[in-house]
Parts: sequence; structure tokens; C-alpha cells
Amino acid sequence: MSRNALVFGFGLAVALVAGWVVFPRLLYVQKQQPLEFQHKTHAEKSGVADCNECHAIREDGAFAGIPAMEKCAACHSERIGESKAEATLVDSFIKPGHETPWLVYARQPANVWFSHAIHVKRASLACTECHSTYGESDQLRVYQVNRISGYSRDIWGYSISRLRRAPHEGMKMSDCEDCHRRHNIEVGCLACHE
Amino acid sequence: MKVTRRDLLVWSAGAAAGLLVTPVPWKLLDDTSIWSQNWPWIPQPTRGPVEVKQSSCTLCPNGCGMKVKMAAGWPVGLAGVSSHPISRGALCPLGFGAHQLNWHPQRLRTVRHRAAPSTWSEARAAFAKACSEGPVVIIDGYPGRASSSVLETFAQKRGGSYRVVLGSETRALAPYETWSGVPTSALGYDLENAQTIVSFGAPLLDGWGTPGRFTRLWVERAAGSASPQLRLIQVEATFSRTAARSWQWVPVRSGAESALAGGVARVLLEEHLVSARGPMPPLTLAEAANQTGLSADAIRELARTIVARPPLVAIATDNNPAIAALNVLLGAVGTRGGIVRRSKHAEKYVSADAVIPSARAVLIDASVPWDFVAPTDAEVFRFAAWDGGSSKADWLLPAPGFLEELTDVPTAPTSALETYAVAPGLVKPSAEVQNAAQLLASIDSTLTTPEEIIHARCADLFRGRSGTVHSQEVTPVATFASVQKLEEQLWKGAVWVGEAPHPASLRCEPQEWPASAAAVPSDTWSTTWPAPVLPSLATKLYRESSLREAPEKRLA
Repeated sequence: MSRNALVFGFGLAVALVAGWVVFPRLLYVQKQQPLEFQHKTHAEKSGVADCNECHAIREDGAFAGIPAMEKCAACHSERIGESKAEATLVDSFIKPGHETPWLVYARQPANVWFSHAIHVKRASLACTECHSTYGESDQLRVYQVNRISGYSRDIWGYSISRLRRAPHEGMKMSDCEDCHRRHNIEVGCLACHE
Repeated sequence: MKVTRRDLLVWSAGAAAGLLVTPVPWKLLDDTSIWSQNWPWIPQPTRGPVEVKQSSCTLCPNGCGMKVKMAAGWPVGLAGVSSHPISRGALCPLGFGAHQLNWHPQRLRTVRHRAAPSTWSEARAAFAKACSEGPVVIIDGYPGRASSSVLETFAQKRGGSYRVVLGSETRALAPYETWSGVPTSALGYDLENAQTIVSFGAPLLDGWGTPGRFTRLWVERAAGSASPQLRLIQVEATFSRTAARSWQWVPVRSGAESALAGGVARVLLEEHLVSARGPMPPLTLAEAANQTGLSADAIRELARTIVARPPLVAIATDNNPAIAALNVLLGAVGTRGGIVRRSKHAEKYVSADAVIPSARAVLIDASVPWDFVAPTDAEVFRFAAWDGGSSKADWLLPAPGFLEELTDVPTAPTSALETYAVAPGLVKPSAEVQNAAQLLASIDSTLTTPEEIIHARCADLFRGRSGTVHSQEVTPVATFASVQKLEEQLWKGAVWVGEAPHPASLRCEPQEWPASAAAVPSDTWSTTWPAPVLPSLATKLYRESSLREAPEKRLA
């Protein structure tokens, strides 16, 4: 093998390692949620079986998102247990009346109008189709935010190449379009970008 | 081993080739495109609860029903209200982007006196001084509102006069006011019951009247049908959008609409195609043919086509007595499907175009179109939310922007039914803005406020016990338990609709055929309310459409 081929191959290898291994680590910043939260424990102890009981869709069709502090305060007005997270929840948020600044994995940009009511109620999509089985997890994932765009990594998906993604991975506009195409449902631009 | 320059170049080539098969270039391209949309200085709606409020558009007197999507208390999107009895879910392009107007760079935020910055106290002092020195003329572009009542009362109390700038759709009804004595503010078109509509240049499918009213009718009863239930005959010099969709397009020379009306009237009378009698136009058929560019046979055929399917009505673009006389001859005045009197009580207005007598000052309300210039040498106080430039006003006074003030929405100019709605202020206005009624109240504290007048009007509707209230459902006024309940519904965006008009209460008998009127360019949504500025959405549509102004205006 000639010297040129070796040097070229070395450059190629360095670029491949940098692009596939180093770049994703540099691109995303890892952030911790302000509190530990266990979906599984809450589901088991409170008997809540349906996502809608906490992540409700209001009567007018709007999605309430993450429950407000008053929902947490219904059970956690005083400490339940001795964990550090419990102390933080009660002392730092519930008693002073502050909302928890959760980092929302699936938050869409401001120019997108996404209706949970239409997708969940009218199209009967299961929550897991977009949000996987996180509702059964016993710890919150690390939140990763893109340094350049400021978006959560869930929007792009965890596969940096976007190849061989799990069905629930990715929330970009192309993912919405793919799903609509699969279900043969056409919508215009203004349906989401009012 | 010595690393040569060649090695570095070969290594770089390898690295470049490698990078192309990694996500780096593609991901960076995607991320930087998103980054460029989210620069920190680009305004973003505040994150917060999203709610939808219902109201009425106040940009022009058509008062379309409007859903306002609010995020954290700020409007972020507008849409039509399908249950609205007149606009039926439609908005004009200007309306769709109206919430952006408040952030327009040309938003007027400070008082200006002859282009120099000034203050409200100086403006108030100057206006109070003018009021004490002589009569004041107040000009309104949207009469019938509660605040209009305040303006009129002030002008009367100070020995001045109250005048209005009427839109072309209202001016088109002026001949009927002359012949019947019924004010134009009480007249409307019963399009819903017409079978044939002859439009003399009116852009019925491009912004005439309340957006959605005629377009919905056309979709339901005319679109795509060779033998439609509703025949639209468009008389127009250019192949406009309305002409392109009409059942029959009659291309006439620009400005020959009156001549065609005269020619058609002559055929109707000579061939006894109508039962009504009326004055014979002085124009012969040959002269009409010569002026319009149509053949005499074509005019005869048109006359027969028009009367083939009654009820029918002819619509002019502006004050054109010949077309109004044709309507009288066709029996379209005071009949079902024609020109109807929608209300018993209505006010007769003095046009602002008439010569203004010696006045010390002229106050122009923010509702007056920007291109209106008062024919006066008096000191001019002009309210406006946006600075359109080239104003001849001495004082420019910043008025509340879109959704920033409480107002009521009286009947739209072309509506056959009386309506009433309330548009509450959904957005907190800047401290620097005031409307004309507020300025007058600061000078004369005995004036009733618009809010009190709206309460009184709601009470009148409740006491009248007639009509219905349209929200998601239709509720007769008689079933409301209290005026508070009725008022609550109206403040939430419901619309009161009066009883159907009694057609026979309008009679017109012109004694002679009117002289020809000069041609006027037709109006569209962009010219009926000549906004000093446009929201970005409307601007984009405006630029792409190329047909937003009548040909006459473009040529000028």
C-alpha cells in the first residue's frame, strides 16, 4: 500500500471517528432535571393507569402539558419519605408556590401548533407512539439540548444519523409528514403553522 | 518519518471525504438553519397557557367573527368563526395577520406635532384651546359605534359638526337614500334570497362586503355548476377574479357601466320585460352599444338574461344612480332578494367630503382611512395607530392598535340583517395611546363613556326581546333571563342578529333617468380600508397577487 493511501485512510478514519463519535457528544449538552421523578412509582402507588390523568387534555381541547404544582401539592403538601428529591420538591417548590422548571423533552418550537386533542382523541393515537414507554420509567432521562438550535435531542432523535430509529424517535416536521403519509391524512401548512 | 506538505493535503482530502459520510455537514446545516430562525432578538410569544377567545374584527366596518388564539395573554393567531352569521368563518388576508400590526415598525407610539415629538398634555391643551376658540368638526370612518356616539355628542355640544367617511359599498346605496329618504345606514343587500346578481364591477369574490358572505353563497349555490341556482353576471372591463368565476362575464369599456345600465333599461321598457314603470333613459340602444363596446343585440340578450330568473339585484361599485335606477326598474328595491331596509331607525350622516365650513379644528378618528385628507385649512388633529406617512395633519395622535380597546361592532354596511357585537380589548395597550373618545372625555367630563353606551345598547336589545344571539348555538333574546346574561354572551364574542327585514318598507320612485355617473375603480379588501401599513402575511399575499388594485389605480 502506498504512503498516500495510508495517509488518506488515516485522515478518513479520523474524520469518521470525529463525525460519528465525538461530534454528537460535543453537539449536545446534558442537563439534569430539577427533580427526580419516577413515573412508575407514581403509577403504582397512586393507582394512576392513564397518562391523561396527569397530562390532561382540557375541555377546550388544549393540552395541559406537565401538571401544575397544585397537582403535585395534592399529595406532597408535606414531605412523603426522606429522599433528597422529596425535600427539594416540598421546600423549594410546593411551599413557596413555585412551578418546577421541568426541561420538556418533546417541546416544539413556538411556530408549531400541535394539537394533542386531535391526535389522541380523534385519531386515537396511543401516547407511546410518540413518547415511547417513558411513562413506565423509574427515573427521568438526562435532558440533552442542542448547543446550536437550542432544541431538545428528542426532536432530532437519539440516532444521530436518523437511520434505524425506533418508531417513536424523532419529532421533526419530516416525522410528522411521514406519519401523516402512512395514515393517508393530508394537512396543509397552516394546520400546524398558523 | 518526515511529514510533508503533500501528506497534509492527502490527509485533509481523506478527512474531507470521511466527513461527508458522517452526520456532521448535514446536521450542522439543519441546526444552523434552525439557529437562524431563533436569534434572540426575534420576538417569540411567551410560553404560557394557550386559550382561544372569540371576538369581532375591528379593522373595517364589516366586523367579521374572529377567533383569537392567545398565548400567555398575547394574540398569536387569528381565524374566522364558522358560526358567525354574516362572515361565516372567513377573514380577509389583512384580518388573518392583523395581530402582527401592533408590532409593525410604523406603529405610531408618540404624539407628534408637525413631525416633531410632542406630548399628550400639549396635544390636549392645543385641542382644548381650539374648542374654546371656534367650532370643531369631527370626522369618523366607522359610524354607529359607541365611541362614534361620543364623538357626535361632543361635536353637537360644541356647536361643531360630525361627519363620516363612508366606504364605497355604502356610497353605492346613496341614490336610494335620495329617492326614498331612508338613510344608507338602514339599507342592505338581501343576497341570500337573490337568484340573479348583476355586478357592475363590484369585486364580489375578492373582498366586497363582508368577506365570506358572498363567497360562501357562491360556493353553495353557484360554483362549478353550468346552471347554477345563483347566477352571477359580472359587468367589468377586466377579466378579474370575480369575472373569471362568474356565470357570465360581460366585458364593457371601462367607465361605460352607466351606459350599459341605460341600455339594458331601455330594452326592458321597450320589450315590456318588466312590470314596473320607470323613466326612459335618454340614451338610445345604439348609443349605449357605442359607449359600451357591446353590440345592440348583446345588450338585448343581456337584458333578457337578467330578468329570466328573479329575484335579482344589480350591485354598483360606488354611487352610481343609473345602476340604482335600473334596480328600481327591475323591481329589486324593497323586495325580497334585492335592496332592503334592515332597520327602522337609522341615522343620516353628513359626508366628510362635503366642504367643511369655517372650523377652528378638525379631529379625525383613527377609523378614517389614512388616505383621507380633510378639505380644510383648520388645525387638524389626527388619531392613528400607524403612521402611513405624508400626513397633512398638524397633530398625529397615537391610537390603540388592533384588539387594544373596547369597541362595539354595529351592522356591516351591506348586510340585510341588523347585527350587533362587542369586541373587548384583549391586549393591554401601551400607556402612550388614547382613542378620540378618551381625549374628548378628558376635555368634557360629562360625556358618556363608550363602555356605558355599550351597556345601554345591550339593555336596549334585552328590552326589545327580538332577534337571536349567535354563538356556538342560536339563542332567542327572549329566552335570556337577564341583561347581564345577554351582555356576558356578547362580550364573549356572540353576535346579536335582528329579525329579517320587511321588504315592502322601502319605496323608490325616481322621476327621471339619472345623468351618467363617472366610472369608479372597484374596491377590494386592500382598498376598502386603505391601511397605512400591512401585516407581513398580507404584504406577502399583496405582492404575489398582482391584482390588488383596480387597473385605473395601477395605471395612475
